[in-house]
Amino acid sequence: MASAGNKSINAKLVLLGDVGAGKSSLVLRFVKDQFVEFQESTIGAAFFSQTLAVNDATVKFEIWDTAGQERYHSLAPMYYRGAAAAIIVFDITNQVSFERAKKWVQELQAQGNPNMVMALAGNKADLLDARKVTPEEAEIYAQENSLFFMETSAKTATNVKDIFYEIAKRLPRVQPAENPTGVVLPNGPGATAVSSSCCA
Amino acid sequence: MSMEASELQDLSDDADYAASQQQGSASMMRCDSSKRSSPSEHEDAELIYLKDNVAIHPTQFASERISGRLKLTKQDSILFLSWIPYKGQSSNAKLSEKDRSLYTITAVPFTEVRSIKRHTPAFGWQYVIVVQSSGLAHPPLYFYNGGVREFLAIVKQHVFLARSAEDASVFLVNDFQSPLQRTLSSLELPSSLPVASGQSTYPSDGGSLNENQGRTSSDVGNRVSSLSQYGLRKHKSHDPTRDLSIHLLEKFSLVTKFARETTTQLFSENNGFGSADRRWNNQPVHSYSDKLSNIAEEKHHEISHSYSENDLLKDEDISNDIDVPADPLEFNKLSLVWGKPRQPQMGSKEFTAFLDSEGRVVESKALRERVFYGGIEHQLRREVWPFLLGYYAYDLTYAEREYLRSVKRMEYATLKQQWQSISPEQAKRFTKYRERKGLIDKDVVRTDRAFEYYEGDDNLNVNSMRDILLTYSFYNFDLGYCQGMSDYLSPILFVMGDESESFWCFVALMERLGPNFNRDQNGMHTQLFALSKLVELLDSPLHNYFKQNDCLNYFFCFRWILIQFKREFEYEKTMQLWEVLWTHYLSEHLHLYVCVAILKRFRSKIIGEQMDFDTLLKFINELSGHIDLDSTIRDAEALCICAGENGAASIPPGTPPSLPLDEGILYPQEDDVL
Repeated sequence: MASAGNKSINAKLVLLGDVGAGKSSLVLRFVKDQFVEFQESTIGAAFFSQTLAVNDATVKFEIWDTAGQERYHSLAPMYYRGAAAAIIVFDITNQVSFERAKKWVQELQAQGNPNMVMALAGNKADLLDARKVTPEEAEIYAQENSLFFMETSAKTATNVKDIFYEIAKRLPRVQPAENPTGVVLPNGPGATAVSSSCCA
Repeated sequence: MSMEASELQDLSDDADYAASQQQGSASMMRCDSSKRSSPSEHEDAELIYLKDNVAIHPTQFASERISGRLKLTKQDSILFLSWIPYKGQSSNAKLSEKDRSLYTITAVPFTEVRSIKRHTPAFGWQYVIVVQSSGLAHPPLYFYNGGVREFLAIVKQHVFLARSAEDASVFLVNDFQSPLQRTLSSLELPSSLPVASGQSTYPSDGGSLNENQGRTSSDVGNRVSSLSQYGLRKHKSHDPTRDLSIHLLEKFSLVTKFARETTTQLFSENNGFGSADRRWNNQPVHSYSDKLSNIAEEKHHEISHSYSENDLLKDEDISNDIDVPADPLEFNKLSLVWGKPRQPQMGSKEFTAFLDSEGRVVESKALRERVFYGGIEHQLRREVWPFLLGYYAYDLTYAEREYLRSVKRMEYATLKQQWQSISPEQAKRFTKYRERKGLIDKDVVRTDRAFEYYEGDDNLNVNSMRDILLTYSFYNFDLGYCQGMSDYLSPILFVMGDESESFWCFVALMERLGPNFNRDQNGMHTQLFALSKLVELLDSPLHNYFKQNDCLNYFFCFRWILIQFKREFEYEKTMQLWEVLWTHYLSEHLHLYVCVAILKRFRSKIIGEQMDFDTLLKFINELSGHIDLDSTIRDAEALCICAGENGAASIPPGTPPSLPLDEGILYPQEDDVL
């Protein structure tokens, strides 16, 4: 983009995935550069924000971290509605969590914002000995479904910033600059993709 | 306690003034129709007005009040005010007959009344404060059935009332026997001068500045300084709203010069009120300043909004875009009615006194009251929690409880055996079991692991937690395991120690809170709905704010309610809160009032910073660890009492933790769910 450096984008991002896949840990690493071995379960949802500078813009991520249990599934639309981006997280040591990730992808494809940037994160990549999901398997799935895939480790910080950076690069650049607070925009096709909107 | 909605909606109190100007108004007629002589009065005393259910609070605690009857009588063309408490009726046994006679107001002539302060918030708890010429302020008279405006309108038909220029909620009583006053008040000239602007700026540290304002009357100066030293006045920085309010006064009030000068003697309701508190409350003054500083700590922002300015604006119903609308209950909270201070935790000896010789709890309500106001010493919790949770019935003897424990221990072993007997081969064909176990395994290792009892590798207590949760998911297979349950179990296991006892306490708790984990989220929705109703009742400006910002689903309180603040307080504080909630002493739903209390505490920040849903959720989540428990419980208690029946009516029947209404299918199932 032409106007380098002075474009400011607000992007609502939601993390979805199975219980214990490491959603909160990824956020904690990204936002606070911390890691807790026994990160407590997320009740309801948590909200964070973090700003990232990419080549031509400053992206302020407004991050929704959700509870993973299927029981709380009915709350999820409240959080992914209007999201410009999603990270679907699975645990590479847990095949079930990969299957669950696929269900989330399906749901977002059906219900989410059509312009949503979706990333698939194979987390706990440091636990190679316990691996159950191969990177090839995940990569093929990602390509078939127009996602991009990365293996991450919140524990070692591998690829954590990178996955957010990749998302930032892929976000549409059409948001008007005069919307710094992320208020709801008129339903222009591009505008909704990058603005946070109210989730009530 | 009931509200007279139509009256409360009428925030323009010009009607009051108009009523005093007009003869034969509706209230006058009503008053006439009630004219009759009371045998207890002087023979020639004429009953002008009578109002039942007018109460005072002898302490600042909302739970203690004395109800009585307010009367206006007229004799020899002098109006008298009296308030007689009802005999043998009080909200609290501790209030003695002596208290009642102490506060009785017997026939005070209006010639000796200097002013009446009126407080008519948008929600309930209207009151008036009558200040005598001597400076004596009577305790606030609470009109539990409303009707303050009517009362004032009737007073105005008999004595001259002038709106104070300093505080529109103060009405100065002018005695028509005084020729000077009659002359001055008959002029009825609009005030041509703004009230001395010097008074609109007060030093932030209170104190004696008022003496420096060149007041001509030394008497006034003395009084002001003697009153202000109590330091109760809220800080008043120069505030544009004040200028606005003065402007409004010019517009609406017909204030004579005399009245205005009189007003300066009383200009600060906080001053007068403070002295009144001190006089009748028998509370050391420092408790108030402590309280103020305590509040100031967390809501310094709010405190900068002087009550009188806000009240003025509200009373005049002026829409303003200035900033945070006043908390309708703030004045009460600051200066009068609070929940009781926390008592020391109940110890063993005290608990034993609640038991008869065979170990039955004789008066469960007294026990619950004791726990409500002070909690339980940690060592004793394992004896008392099973009662509070409903695992032990209160009327069991020592022996019966011992027997119950042994029976339940065997029953627990049987239940536990059900999943322990599942072989690896069977487990392969038992997806639900595997999934549940996997979920529980994931959660127990990350539940309170920083807490000593659960820390370290291969911690046996973590294993116990897993076993209990897995057993529960078989005991209540329909509900199963849900995230948040381990948060509930953790303190219970820590307190009870024993696995079987912990299990049955957990079972008892889930009888009430299980619906929090229903698949359809119905239990949570009901509570969030009730919460929104309570906020609407107890803080309508805040409710309106949430409404305007699409926050009425109250999902930002989801975590608070789902696990009853487990993540918001440190471990010990959580236990203290839970045992208070479990008493169900004032309400089964005190936790919802706790939510309201916390939201109100931060209302200025929420509204002032114009938080949207995202910001609000972030803010609420980050409050964790920063909420003072004791004052929150006290606020919740006061709010609960304040809300009274209206509060109870806001909470739909069957709202958890009330027991479910329908004892049929407890946990409706859906296909394809864990």
